[in-house]
Amino acid sequence: MPKPRTTRSLLATSLFIGLFSSASAGPLQDVDLTKAPVGPNGNPAVSASEITLSPDEIAQLKTQNYKAALVWHASGDWVNAVTAGAKSKFEELGIEVVATTDAQFDSARQASDVENVLALTPDIILTLVVDPVSGAATFQPAIDKGTKLVLLSNPISGYQANDQYTGIVTDDMYGMGSAAAEMMSDALGGKGSIGFIYHDADYFITNNRDNAFRSAIKEKHSGLEIVAEKGFTEEGQTFELTSAMVLQNPDISGIYVAWDVAAEGVIGALRAQGRQDIKVITHDLGQNNALDMIKGGSMYGTIADRPFEIGQAMASLGAYGLLGKESPAFSVVGFDKVVKENIAKTWEKSLHRPLPAKLEEALN
Amino acid sequence: MTSLTNAIDGQLPFLRRIFRRIFQREYFVYYALIAVVLFFSAVLADTAFFSLANFMNIIRQTTPITLMAIGMTFALAVGHIDLSVGSVVALSALVCALVLDITYWPIAVAAGLAVGILTGLVNSILTEWLRVSSLLVTLGTMGIVAGLARVLTNLESIPITNDTFTTIFGSGSFASISVMFVWTAIALIIGWIALSKTRFGAHLLAVGGNPSAARAFGINVIKVRMTAMIIAGTTASIAGLLYAGRLHGARYSLGEADLLTVIAAVAIGGTSLFGGRASVTGAVVGSWLMGIINNGLILWGFSTNEQIIARGLILIVAVAIGVKEDRK
Repeated sequence: MPKPRTTRSLLATSLFIGLFSSASAGPLQDVDLTKAPVGPNGNPAVSASEITLSPDEIAQLKTQNYKAALVWHASGDWVNAVTAGAKSKFEELGIEVVATTDAQFDSARQASDVENVLALTPDIILTLVVDPVSGAATFQPAIDKGTKLVLLSNPISGYQANDQYTGIVTDDMYGMGSAAAEMMSDALGGKGSIGFIYHDADYFITNNRDNAFRSAIKEKHSGLEIVAEKGFTEEGQTFELTSAMVLQNPDISGIYVAWDVAAEGVIGALRAQGRQDIKVITHDLGQNNALDMIKGGSMYGTIADRPFEIGQAMASLGAYGLLGKESPAFSVVGFDKVVKENIAKTWEKSLHRPLPAKLEEALN
Repeated sequence: MTSLTNAIDGQLPFLRRIFRRIFQREYFVYYALIAVVLFFSAVLADTAFFSLANFMNIIRQTTPITLMAIGMTFALAVGHIDLSVGSVVALSALVCALVLDITYWPIAVAAGLAVGILTGLVNSILTEWLRVSSLLVTLGTMGIVAGLARVLTNLESIPITNDTFTTIFGSGSFASISVMFVWTAIALIIGWIALSKTRFGAHLLAVGGNPSAARAFGINVIKVRMTAMIIAGTTASIAGLLYAGRLHGARYSLGEADLLTVIAAVAIGGTSLFGGRASVTGAVVGSWLMGIINNGLILWGFSTNEQIIARGLILIVAVAIGVKEDRK
């Protein structure tokens, strides 16, 4: 999933303004995902594997010299994998990728990126919109020019599928949160007290996954109880939060944390306190925590989505738009439960890259 | 009776002097620290706030900031500022982690430190050569170094598996005392001696207070300023190594949110943002104050947003007192 980062304040003179402005958008949202996942406009979710193009359609696309731009919200390992997936599909379709941008979670910067990219007259724009509200104005010039817009995860206010945008592709957030709860139950033998470290910002994917985990613990795992909750806005805060949480609740035996990079601080704090008996469950894949998992540290397992597949599905949906084909409004990709035993296979499946040498070495 | 009144009158200037001495600006941070510790000890009496384990937590979390704050004190002492410290943290940690994969840890440490030393050198050469504000030069190098950190590993984390390195740089402890405490103590002693007990320290303050006068006294102003900037870069790279050791891995985002905390810690500690007045002990205590406020607010159960507001309010009160003094 995309990893939010703090916007860096550049001037020392803005010291205190900067300290205030690092505040996040709001508290954890109560999104009801106890039913089957649905899109932001109530569209039922379909599997991204249903997005396909016939050989005739591909041949037709190849004759048109279409161009695409990737207008991302951020950069990182996960975004790299989405980009790789999109580029591989576009290459297959004979569509040239003319620009890739990174808004660094700044909606104003994303607006500039769209203006700059439009000078290259792309036929398709793949994007994760930073601000769903201002995003409506940001992408209007692209729509006015007939560019086909495909969204990653976040909806845009007032926009409709097969109208302003072709469709949304995202993770199965409910499924991932529920799977994380199942994994916690496996790790603790179905019984124990849990610490819950969630993303304390208004962010569609992380809010839904965190809430799905919490709901699943409450409804499906009666032996487990969340006894401490702490929110974070920056990944670097989790070391401090975990230290405090364990100090106040020494009896917890498992910690859920919203995503991999944030989990690095949790693992570090548990290691520093000699509490590697506490098991950690998170989302996404990262080398540092994977190594800890292989070596039998605190990291028990993670739920990994498939960003490469997201990129491929988005590229295909862009082609749907160009072909005038009706698109599924809300598509979800699958996920995998990753533990030490299956990490080599799942790493490749998720990121479309072989397991890093250091992890391979630790496994053998 | 008359003699008693005379005696009190005679004592008044002395008492006033004592009072002024006790409540002067440079001691503010120490009183603030004591007040904050007492306050949180009272309101968090039912938690383990006032415990060795918690204070070690705070030291563990704060030491990289403390190191950077000490380095920044040297830069500010000569009237400069180094905005590239956060970026240096990430690049030093990544370079060290990559070199650790192929050779012995002392060489990797040297490679990590070289990042900070070189950045400090480049910052100071550009500042002196272009004769522009260090704020602008380091704003530029901040971007360059951060970009290099991102490019170096294509945004991937690099795990560190060398136990000797991780034990020395952040993860080790001796009888409940974290190795981070040792790093803080060493940096504090060296920094305090360098700034307060050596001719170099006196030169730093002279250059920061009045460069023309310092030059007239035969002080090599450029050399002093360059040394201060290299010290700031070096302490940032040590902070990077400590983050890498604590987390058993390096990542391009390490230290990116630290710059403002470092400047706040130094300012609260009594160092002037405009040169000529500096305190290493103040910077260390300032960083602890920031860490304790953070820790106390978390233990108290404040939400993230409330923590940010409370931290901002406390900082404004703290700095307002310092600025008032500067205006006199």
